[in-house]
Amino acid sequence: MTKRLREESEEETEEVYEPSRATRLFIIWRKLKTSKLAVAGFGIVLLSSAAALLAPIIAPYGIEWMGYSGLPPSTAHWFGTDSLGRDMLSLVLYGARISLYVGLAAVFLEIVIGLAIGMTAGYFGGAVDEALMRLTDLILSLPTLPLLVVTVTLFQAYSIHTIVLVMGVFGWPFMARVARSEFLALRETTFVEAARSMGASSGRIIMRHILPNILSTVVVIATMDIPWYIFWEATLTYLGFSDPSSPSWGVLLERGYYALGINWQGWWMVAFPGLALFFTALGFNLFGDGLRDALDVTTRGR
Amino acid sequence: MSNSLLLSINELKTYFFTSEGIVKAVDEVCLGINKGEVLGLVGESGCGKSTLALSIIRLIRPPGKIVGGEIWFEGEDLLSKSEGEMRKIRGGEISMIFQNPMSSMNPLHTVGSQIAEAIELHQDAQKHELKAMVVDMLHAVGIPDPLRRMEDYPHEYSGGMCQRAMTAMALSCNPKLLIADEPTTNLDVTIQAQILELMKRLRRELGTSVLLIGHNLGVISELCDKVAVMYGGKLVEYSDLTTIFEEAKHPYTQALLESIPRLDIETERLRIIPGTVPRLINPPPGCRFYPRCEYAKSICSKEEPPLTEIGQGHSAACFLYTSKRRTKSPT
Repeated sequence: MTKRLREESEEETEEVYEPSRATRLFIIWRKLKTSKLAVAGFGIVLLSSAAALLAPIIAPYGIEWMGYSGLPPSTAHWFGTDSLGRDMLSLVLYGARISLYVGLAAVFLEIVIGLAIGMTAGYFGGAVDEALMRLTDLILSLPTLPLLVVTVTLFQAYSIHTIVLVMGVFGWPFMARVARSEFLALRETTFVEAARSMGASSGRIIMRHILPNILSTVVVIATMDIPWYIFWEATLTYLGFSDPSSPSWGVLLERGYYALGINWQGWWMVAFPGLALFFTALGFNLFGDGLRDALDVTTRGR
Repeated sequence: MSNSLLLSINELKTYFFTSEGIVKAVDEVCLGINKGEVLGLVGESGCGKSTLALSIIRLIRPPGKIVGGEIWFEGEDLLSKSEGEMRKIRGGEISMIFQNPMSSMNPLHTVGSQIAEAIELHQDAQKHELKAMVVDMLHAVGIPDPLRRMEDYPHEYSGGMCQRAMTAMALSCNPKLLIADEPTTNLDVTIQAQILELMKRLRRELGTSVLLIGHNLGVISELCDKVAVMYGGKLVEYSDLTTIFEEAKHPYTQALLESIPRLDIETERLRIIPGTVPRLINPPPGCRFYPRCEYAKSICSKEEPPLTEIGQGHSAACFLYTSKRRTKSPT
């Protein structure tokens, strides 16, 4: 019976509409578009990414350039100059490079470590789950700031990479917990059992049937955590645990703060990096929120 | 008959080791299914039907465990197979349809890609062949416009269509045995009839053996050649369809039959079986139906009645028919 049917349908199959990767992205974008806030968030994210990527091209002065120090915003220096006489606009643009790198790299580490641990605990359960979750609790129970300060100090090298590494290594517990709980719920679903009854292996079930279902949660947590990491990097550099020569927004804020402290002049040294930080954080949060809705296939946005 | 035996279950025991005690969900069950045969497995909720089904494809999850017995499929012992060998059998040789069609499909993949995945797991097929096969299967189970509908997501299907698609997926690799675990339970009556019609047709055309699990005797009577009745993890009666419906011997089967509405016999009220299925945690000795049985004798609370042949291809586990003659008959 199936033979006969196959012959009939042979010619027709050529023109089957199959959503390619591009159309899928388009569908996601179309759904994202329905929320103004999400689009605004996406715009901000794009803007700060562009600033980071194009900093060497669009920055009016390099970070090495020095002029008069402490100039207020003017047409020559839109954001003013800092206490060393560097152009604030250029510094903020270059700062985006470092801050975004910190946020994205640390979140990448968080996703990799958090998912691996959460998936293992949730899928295999039992003693493995117990051991991994107690480790998670242990890390969660440590106060973040002293932990970061102590470990960064232990490394003896205050570089941006050290900070990323330390934040990533201690940032995964929340991701792991969420991944675990989602895995626990999903591995009991009928469709996972059905997949198993069709002869799918554990690996296939994890990668094809469970992981895509928790992707939207992971994306949301990740986008919300990016500003969190940028803030922590700013905090650490503000406290002096970073490479002062790399102008991250945190370093700029720290310097601006000292300048403010001297004579209560130079609000622009704090305001512009602060606003950049604030808007980037806001952008990622809004974008993440919108992305969660857009990734839901049950609404196709037709 | 034994040369056409497809599946034979011998004294299978599947227990769940819970913190409250051992639940004997399937206890020394013997069953056989011949090639091309449809066996109905009937019983109340919680009597071990689904556990038996999952035991066959070895998908019992902890705390459950198959603790004893044998499952022979095409002359091979499934219980001694490795996990990798079992994966080839699942979906390829034995496939399963579940109770709730809407949640049996992954909401994130299209129906077509899920059926394609099932085929891919067991057959080498080129991409364009694969698509044609999916279209064939959807067509065979009566999905209108399969070329377009294969690109839909499960939530865009109705319950009945989902069950059709699941059936298509289960049959996509031409399995020798199809286990249908209450395939019509969550569907409304007209859709139930459609699914039954579909299964009848597929059975006629493909000749697949089916283990049909259900508590709805109406559904069972539509499709099955043989009927096995389970109660409290035990097989209590086994016979062909007409014998079960016309001369059921076990008091539980009789009660079950009297509790379904029939048009051909006039009754004032439907029979109710008093009580509920016993908790299967450390069950007391004796017949498990004894507390609810109207014919209970003193021996029933002390000894377990063995499954005894009481007629041509008809066996029951009840002391009303054993008369102390102990001949165990595995179908």
